[in-house]
Formats: sequence, C-alpha cells, structure tokens
Amino acid sequence: MILYTVLPLEDVLEGIDEEPTPTMMLSLNGLTLEVEQLEGFQARVVRLHSTDPEYYLVAHCQPGSIIHLGEF
Amino acid sequence: MFEDYEPADPDEPASPEKVTMETIKELGQIAPPQAPEFEAQPFHCLSIIGQIEGHMVLPPRNKTTKYEHVIPQLVAIEQNPKIKGLLVVLNTVGGDIEAGLAIAEMLKTMQTPTVSLVLGGGHSIGAPIAVAADYSLISETATMTIHPIRLSGLVIGVPQTYEYLDKMQDRVIRFIVQHSRIEKEALRDMMFRTGELVRDVGTVLVGEEAVRVGLINEVGGLASALARLSQLVQPENGGGIQ
Repeated sequence: MILYTVLPLEDVLEGIDEEPTPTMMLSLNGLTLEVEQLEGFQARVVRLHSTDPEYYLVAHCQPGSIIHLGEF
Repeated sequence: MFEDYEPADPDEPASPEKVTMETIKELGQIAPPQAPEFEAQPFHCLSIIGQIEGHMVLPPRNKTTKYEHVIPQLVAIEQNPKIKGLLVVLNTVGGDIEAGLAIAEMLKTMQTPTVSLVLGGGHSIGAPIAVAADYSLISETATMTIHPIRLSGLVIGVPQTYEYLDKMQDRVIRFIVQHSRIEKEALRDMMFRTGELVRDVGTVLVGEEAVRVGLINEVGGLASALARLSQLVQPENGGGIQ
C-alpha cells in the first residue's frame, strides 16, 4: 500500500492498534448490511453489500448511519 | 338501501401511516426502517476492492472482497430478468488466487452482459477478473501489475515447490490469454521482466499500455463503460436500455 498524502503517517494510522468492533451481517428486505452492534438494539452500518446501485443512495444504508434492531 | 355501503377492499393496501399507527398502538413500537422497494436497476455495479479474500479471513483492518458474498450476487444477477447488465469496477491489490479465479470464471460464464472498468489499480489476480468481462476498460491513470505468483513465508526448497507454483501460474496465464488479445509468450515475458519493479520481477502497465499489449480492450471511463454495456444489451432487448 502506497500512501500519497500531506498528513503525517502517525495521523493517518491513528488508532490502528485498537481492536475494531466485530461486525455482523444483517439482512433487510433482501439487502445485506454489514453492521456494528451498538447498545440498546441499535447498530451502525459499516458496509453495504449489494450490487443494486439504488441502495447506495438510501440515507439509512449509508455507512455510519444508525438503525434500530429491536424490530427485527 | 345499501348504496352508501362500500365493502373494504382486501386488495387495497393499508396506507403506510395507518400501519405505523397500528404498530405503535398494538405493539408499542414503530415500524422498522424499511428499505424502499425499488424497481431493479437495469445495470448493476459490483465493486472488487482491496484484497480478494479467499479461504482465510483477513484481519478486520483489511478492506476485502469476500467471494462468498460476490458469487451469490452474481447468481442473483444472472437470474433476474430485470437486470440487463453488470458493470464490474476494479480497484484491487490482488489476493487469493482461487477466490479470484472463481469470481473470474463466474463472470466469464454469465449470460448477462458484463463490462469491467479498472480504476486505480487492478493488480495480480485483478487481471483475470478484468479480462473475464465481455468487454474491459481501463481508466487513463489506472495501473495493472503483472507479476509471478509466489508463496510468502516458509518455502520448502524442493523442485516440486517450483513446479507447483508454475502450475498455479499457468492457470492464471491460460485464463488471461483465453479471454484477452494478449499472446501467451508476451504475457510470460511481462511477468518475469526484471528492472521495472523495485526488488521484484514483473511489469507495471498504466492505462493505455494495458490496451496496447492487448490485455484490456479500451481506455475509458464511466460513460464509455455504460455506453458499451447498453450496446451489449441491445440485441436481445430489441432497442436497448431507455
């Protein structure tokens, strides 16, 4: 991997030693979301697994958005 | 007498607001965030990114393309009559040879028209995936590194090791040669060229060069990739995509 950036390497790699939160796959209406489980039946979207480009325009599918798991 | 009476139409769908209200009343919760029901898009887009993950799960810091996710997606695309074409976007550093060849073979044997677009990089096992599509494009600044397969870590130095690697190498070479305009000898020559890569053998092809050697069909971008896909779709569609 080659980085071409004005940022110092320690800034770019900040937090690399921290263990990332484990993710899980969630199926929602035929769409697969990779989510990170949060407290209180909530989950944060990490990645979207779909080939349908329309889903990438949906706000609640965006990485970082929080969805409620309680209803599933 | 019953003129004013309108029977409830069982086929009439309840309005979303009504459903939400009822769920709150009866279950004390609101409806889950539903992904809207879409019309399937005529062209789907598959991104092959980061490392192509094979039999071993890579540490979570790695960005990976997981073949066990990709293959069912390809099956779904192939079976869905509404999906007319698939655009494969590659920006990969390579990865597992078996997983990479699996994706390449699946793409190759699909009836749905496929166009690949190499952006940024399509290195190592990215090359067979790029050529597996019906038509391949590379962006002007994208690079493809062609280099031999090797094992990292402990290698037992017996002649069989070399022969085994050579056999693995041949699978990749054969696939690329079969599905692109490049000659076998030219490809092997590029793979083992010295002096171009620091501390390594191989060749780096940038944009136009990949087209010149016959690996990729055309230099282009998103618009030309979609235009080519529409063109590939046309014969069976009788007029193409609107």
